[in-house]
Amino acid sequence: MTIVTISTGDEQNIDRLVNHYLANQGLIRRFLSSVDSQIADAVLDTEPLSRLVHSVKRRMKDPSHLKDKLIRKLLKKREAGEDFDITEDNLFLRINDLGGYRILHLHTQQMGEIHTALLELLDQAQCELFEPPSANIWDEESRAYFEGIGIRTEVNPRLYSSVHYVIQPRSRTRITCEIQVRTLADEIWGEIDHKINYPHPHESLPCREQIKALARVASSCSRLVDSIVASHRDWEDHGHVRSSDD
Amino acid sequence: MDPNPTTSRGRAQRIAIFNHKGGVGKTTLNVNIAAALASLGKRILLVDSDPQCNLTAYLIEESVVDDLLDTSDSEDGGRTVWSAVKPVVDATGTIRIIRPIERLSNVFILPGDIRLSEFEQELSPMWNECFQRKPKGFRGTTALSNLVDHVASAYDIDFVFYDAGPNIGPLNRVLLLDCDYFIVPAACDLFSIRALKTLGYTLVNWINDWKTIEELAPTNVHMLPGSPKFLGYIPQRFRVYGGDVASSYARYLPRIEKSISSDLVTVLRRLNPSLAPFSGGASELGQVKDFGTIATASQTQGKPMKDVDAGTPGQRAEAEETFLEIALKIVTRTGTV
Repeated sequence: MTIVTISTGDEQNIDRLVNHYLANQGLIRRFLSSVDSQIADAVLDTEPLSRLVHSVKRRMKDPSHLKDKLIRKLLKKREAGEDFDITEDNLFLRINDLGGYRILHLHTQQMGEIHTALLELLDQAQCELFEPPSANIWDEESRAYFEGIGIRTEVNPRLYSSVHYVIQPRSRTRITCEIQVRTLADEIWGEIDHKINYPHPHESLPCREQIKALARVASSCSRLVDSIVASHRDWEDHGHVRSSDD
Repeated sequence: MDPNPTTSRGRAQRIAIFNHKGGVGKTTLNVNIAAALASLGKRILLVDSDPQCNLTAYLIEESVVDDLLDTSDSEDGGRTVWSAVKPVVDATGTIRIIRPIERLSNVFILPGDIRLSEFEQELSPMWNECFQRKPKGFRGTTALSNLVDHVASAYDIDFVFYDAGPNIGPLNRVLLLDCDYFIVPAACDLFSIRALKTLGYTLVNWINDWKTIEELAPTNVHMLPGSPKFLGYIPQRFRVYGGDVASSYARYLPRIEKSISSDLVTVLRRLNPSLAPFSGGASELGQVKDFGTIATASQTQGKPMKDVDAGTPGQRAEAEETFLEIALKIVTRTGTV
């Protein structure tokens, strides 16, 4: 096995890219904040997102995380015998999560309605999709659900679950941001995984295994909420009314 | 008429005579320069974009102004600048195109309105909406520009002059950013010179802000050009005794020139050399002395100084020559010979 290393030239190149990000952070932040002003407003008081969305978050990528990501990408390319071709000109189109927005909701089955409403809102917000949205999944049931509502799927071996939209402003400046949509339970998994198991897998096998188990529990939790909501609706459809609603 | 966002700006050069220090004779300059340009065969549109309506009061008789202001809020009868932008302020639609009034030969005026201050109030949140990429913000911010696009092309206008109020508020910000050029009138007094310092920095901030907005502006909205160039300055209202600039005023002239150089030209060029194509002293467009009686008569009679029923023929000829020289320089410098 060949060991791929990073030369001083590579390091300088990557530092240049990180500096380019730092110099243009304001631009991406402004785009992100314009998206936020529209989504957060809709979540506050406009149907259907006000009913479907639990909360939203946003963040700018930490420069040290970007550096790490670029090094990983470079190593991956070298291992495959390919050229590392990210430049200052294409950085904002090749790295899509420099500005990140997250939409959290309660259970998976809400995703169809969220998807439709979000696409409409993004259009009003003068944004377009940079690439078709995709759902990270790791089981057949989820694949069937997301493909059924018109979202392509990608199997994630780390058991990450989230729908990603890479968006760009309809403007002369070409930059991108990423919107992630996931359930609250998946957010718990995502947060703990991100903290201790990403981007470099934890050295401890039990830790890695427990995080995997947490993904399955989180997924079950989202599905249980699906089931409870469906049961409740069915019960209402049969003419029942909660006494507290009388 | 449906003002669509891609309306072309047309060929008219847009100019603001601007200094946020009040009482430097902006309106008098506007009227007399417009008349001089008209005598050179140019077609002029004066836009009274000052809520104080000095220009409107200058050129249109009181009873007519009264009537204009009474009806400006009505659904379809309004003929002031406020009538045009009202649908945008009310968010009921796009601007309403109004017809200008021809007041002197080849000089047209879009009458001002006290209610423009309501528009001005809305312009602050609209500016923020531009940063948020919201089309409503762009509709408001470019409403006057859009109106001028239509009127200037329908009336085959060569020069548009915005009469700007003496402040650095949100209304003047959108006017200046819509202009191809601006002219700075400077009175021979301390405050007028001090104001130049703020003027330079304010313009640079406005231009920078608009550049920022432009970077992420949605592709289907009307935009302002956002780079007003310094066309020159006009020292004025100094008293003349025996042909020489009176000594107490004379000492201000070099100070004005110096301040134009260091506080305006240098500051603009640091941002972009093309913003100040003419340097300090060389940028002077002409000096306008205190014309006394004929200046007052110009205001009361609503005519340029050269045509008033007051003063001596010599005074009127001198005023005519002064403004003609300024007009010729404007024509040359804007390349519209």
